Amino acid sequence: MGSRASTLLREEEIEEIKKETGFSHSQITRLYSRFTSLDKGENGTLSREDFQRIPELAINPLGDRIINAFFPESEDQVNFRGFMRTLAHFRPIEDNEKNKNPTAGEPLNSRTNKLLFAFRLYDLDRDDKISRDELLQVLRMMVGVNISDEQLGSIADRTIQEADTNGDNSISFNEFIKVLEKVDVEQKMSIRFLH
Amino acid sequence: MPPKKKSDLAISVEEVGMEVDATDSGSEDEARRRSRNRRVKPQRKVKCVSDDDEDEEEDEAPRKRGRKKRAKPQDSDEDDEEDKRSVKNKGSKAPRSRAAKVEREDDSEDERETKKKAGKAVPKKEKEEKNLEKKGNVKGKEEKEKDAEKNKKKKKGKLSSSSSDSSSSDSAEESLSEGEIEALKEQVEEKKQLIATLRNKPWRMKRRLLMLKEAQDFVEKFEGALGKGKGRKFYAFKVMMTKKLIKFKRDFENFKTACIPWERKIKEVESHFGSSVASYFIFLRWMYTLNLVLFGFQFGLVVLPEIMMGLPYGSIPRKTVPREEQATAMDLSVLLDFGGYSQYSFLFYGYYNNEKMIGLLKFRLPLSYLLVGIGIFGYSLMVVIKSMARNANEGGDGSDEGDFIFSWKMFTSWDYLIGNPETADNKYASITTSFKESIVDEQENQKDENIHLRRFLRVLANFLILWCLGGSGYLIYFVVKRGQMFAQMNKEDLTWFQKNEVEFVMSLLGLVCPPLFETIAELEDYHPRIALKWQLGRIFALFLGNLYTFLFALFDDVNEKLQNEKLIKNATEWALQEYQANYTAYFNTTAVPPQVVNPADVIRGPCWETAVGIEFMKLTVSDIQVAYLMILIGDFGRAVLVRFLNYCWCWDLEAGFPSYAEFAISDNVLGLVFNQGMIWMGAFYAPGLVGLNILRLLSSMYYQSWAVMACNIPHERVFKASRSNNFYMGLLLLVLFLSLLPVVYTIMTMSPSFDCGPFSGQDKMYNVVMDTINQDLPSFISNIFSYATNPGVIMPAVLLMVLAIYYLNSVSKGYQQANKDLKKKMQIARDEEKNRRNNKDSTNQVMKDLEDLLPNKSLIPPPAEEEEETPIDVVVSKGKKSLKTKQGAKQDGVNLERDVSLAAPNPRAPVTHGPRPRERPPVNTRGPLPGPGRGRGRGGPPR
Repeated sequence: MGSRASTLLREEEIEEIKKETGFSHSQITRLYSRFTSLDKGENGTLSREDFQRIPELAINPLGDRIINAFFPESEDQVNFRGFMRTLAHFRPIEDNEKNKNPTAGEPLNSRTNKLLFAFRLYDLDRDDKISRDELLQVLRMMVGVNISDEQLGSIADRTIQEADTNGDNSISFNEFIKVLEKVDVEQKMSIRFLH
Repeated sequence: MPPKKKSDLAISVEEVGMEVDATDSGSEDEARRRSRNRRVKPQRKVKCVSDDDEDEEEDEAPRKRGRKKRAKPQDSDEDDEEDKRSVKNKGSKAPRSRAAKVEREDDSEDERETKKKAGKAVPKKEKEEKNLEKKGNVKGKEEKEKDAEKNKKKKKGKLSSSSSDSSSSDSAEESLSEGEIEALKEQVEEKKQLIATLRNKPWRMKRRLLMLKEAQDFVEKFEGALGKGKGRKFYAFKVMMTKKLIKFKRDFENFKTACIPWERKIKEVESHFGSSVASYFIFLRWMYTLNLVLFGFQFGLVVLPEIMMGLPYGSIPRKTVPREEQATAMDLSVLLDFGGYSQYSFLFYGYYNNEKMIGLLKFRLPLSYLLVGIGIFGYSLMVVIKSMARNANEGGDGSDEGDFIFSWKMFTSWDYLIGNPETADNKYASITTSFKESIVDEQENQKDENIHLRRFLRVLANFLILWCLGGSGYLIYFVVKRGQMFAQMNKEDLTWFQKNEVEFVMSLLGLVCPPLFETIAELEDYHPRIALKWQLGRIFALFLGNLYTFLFALFDDVNEKLQNEKLIKNATEWALQEYQANYTAYFNTTAVPPQVVNPADVIRGPCWETAVGIEFMKLTVSDIQVAYLMILIGDFGRAVLVRFLNYCWCWDLEAGFPSYAEFAISDNVLGLVFNQGMIWMGAFYAPGLVGLNILRLLSSMYYQSWAVMACNIPHERVFKASRSNNFYMGLLLLVLFLSLLPVVYTIMTMSPSFDCGPFSGQDKMYNVVMDTINQDLPSFISNIFSYATNPGVIMPAVLLMVLAIYYLNSVSKGYQQANKDLKKKMQIARDEEKNRRNNKDSTNQVMKDLEDLLPNKSLIPPPAEEEEETPIDVVVSKGKKSLKTKQGAKQDGVNLERDVSLAAPNPRAPVTHGPRPRERPPVNTRGPLPGPGRGRGRGGPPR
């Protein structure tokens, strides 16, 4: 299986992916074999159904949002490049990457990009603001029917009240960053990809 | 920057598009082929590649070359740079740069071709090389030389990488895959270059030195990876070992977590019932471990030696059931009352012999008995205080995260690694619960109501509860009096109720009072967490009354027994003297042979220690029975009734009156605490008590966690337990202290029974220690002891300790104060920042409006061409707030220009946008975020 994957993936592609995402060679081949095993349609791309077969995503209340994050706008297939680009958000930040000069452009796995990824999960209409309605939707997903609408509304209000600093009744990305300032996002939003 | 980014993106999309085609076609081909034949995989693979290559070579040859050419210049630039660097470096190592990689790709293609058709490959290779030369850059010859070498290496690398993919063997080769080597090489080169150019960097000396050291270390560390032979192998080995170590550590962590007993059970309970209920179970678990250790002491140092090395059952009177009891000694009712055989077993004090040393090991059992008895208290005290201190530390740092409670819950509560549906259910429940907890906390914060009424009600509630407590205290006093009266009477005349009256009343009070208190506490309307503490305190007072009444009754009993014992002792001595006198008179000899009496027939004293032990044993057992029955009837029975009667009942039982039971945290915690107090007190007189308690805790862990999941419903107001359950610990400490008193009192003042237990024959129990010190230890130690017990030494020592405590206390107060001040300062700073940001935003708004109103009258006339170029932008910036645009990139760019133009007329502007450039990357990648983006420019510390 693995060997087939590695031969199917051409070296240049690997190089490009490596450059773009920062994954190592073996990580890419490994992830490619994972990609192909997810790909039930065997057409080199993944559909939403393919993702929904992953149990972790299937039971995750935000699973659909995460799956959506893999797909570029108005598409319902994702190829390996796109797949890797999304996964690159979750690559842990290595020590030697921290002191690299920032002029080279930010890698996909930087703190900001990780946060942006998370932010997008909540920002449904992509207006760079999390509104009260969007919060309510997420809450509904997370707690089901156990809490009354009224209480959920007050939770959403409280959340916005806590986070909102400019008084527009929604959470912008900057406010989002501010909220999660003390959270160890670098560590929490990282997957230990096998080397 | 954003436009550039966009173009970047566009390019990459193009590339991707091309490649998607390629891979698509490839995989389709492959799919077709796979359906054709699955057996000949290797062939197919080769074929597939060849097809692709042929396609590319033949059909798209020009295009590919073109692409390569397009790609090449960039690469070659980089190559140039890198080559230059390497030249600059003293390092003679050949640079393995990206150029090499490009080469390699070509090489690999070549290789594949050579594999299948050698004939064709040669010309192609030539072609390729020609291409290269045509593009000819600096590397030229050098590269070629390396080429051959690399081909070899390449093959090896190729092999290893493919094998590593197919097999999961952990060879060194695999741990150091090709890609990693590449990356490493790059990094090493980079560092080297850094070392070379460090002199020119405009940094401070300190930083330079730091960087130099780091870089040198790095190069030293990883250069081995570049070398061949030994260095490389060593490096590979090292890498492998670190990886293994990391993995091992991870596994070990997992293992450690898996080893925490009942963690899963408790988490399950927590997720459904909230942290408050879980805190009880955690407390229970903690108690269990404590008791395990106590049991280890007690069993290993006292019980086991006596069983293994002491005299067997029936050898001496204290280990034999008396003749008159033997008939009923095996009856179950007697055994359950801890009479008969169990009374004369190792479970109780009386069984232990006073032989100074027993067995081959010359084990000093009496000494060990005393030391363990005291050591149990010492250890418990130590553990309780230690865990209290640790909890206090943990509780300290948790308080400052109160800024974004809801936001954090909202954004970070789900655990994305959950893959098990059951766990997911739990997580849902726990998220819900935690939200509920926060809602309760929140409501409590916002509550403001009639304060006088509230105060009156609280006073009233306390009055009622005091009244209840007084009543129950009197009831206990009354019952104990009656019990003493009954004790005078003949045992056969008493009914079961009369015999067990005290226990019965105490259990009854324990059942009735807590719910009563809870009902009364409704009047007070505290936050549930505070209410729980009050409730705990009140029930504690109730139980304490019970406990001490019980203890006084017991002491009366003991004193009576002691007097009785004196009589018996005198009688036995007298009998012995008589026997001797008679013997001497009768046989006319002074060598009196010892009296031969069956141990069962010997007259013996009441052995008050065993009696006390039995009392505690009985109390513990009845406690267990009551608790378990209560769960069975009160929770399970009620739940069953409610559940099934609900089908045929006039009102909704589940939602209405009886409903299901809630888990009574306070009762359970206090039950546990007092039970532990019993164990501490009783353990000295009944060494088996700790074992019994372990069984109890173990079973109640399973039983209660089942009961709570099966029969209880979550509290109406789920509340969050304070993270440290120090309140429980405080209660425990108090109980420990209280139970320490009677035991120490008896050890120090009461004289032990003359014919049972390890201290028989001694005047006081602690004489065992004195004897040991005087007789068995070197004389200087006994001297030291005699000095140390001198009041002249003890008094200053106590004084010193008091002083030390005072000093430490004041130091810790000072720290606390400082801590509080710092927290306050931080809060103030945060508020200030928030205010300032808000204010600045609004002033900015005004400025913006002004600017928009007077675009042409600003001091510096804006350049005309700019206006022309981006006429839209003015509009955009006018309607800044309302317009959430799609033209993000453009707008952002123009903002910058606007800022520049603002800079001159507005002296504040430079300050406002000073740190902006540092913040640029996040802002840009994200696109337009007008308002807050500006707001952040000033306040937020650059990350």
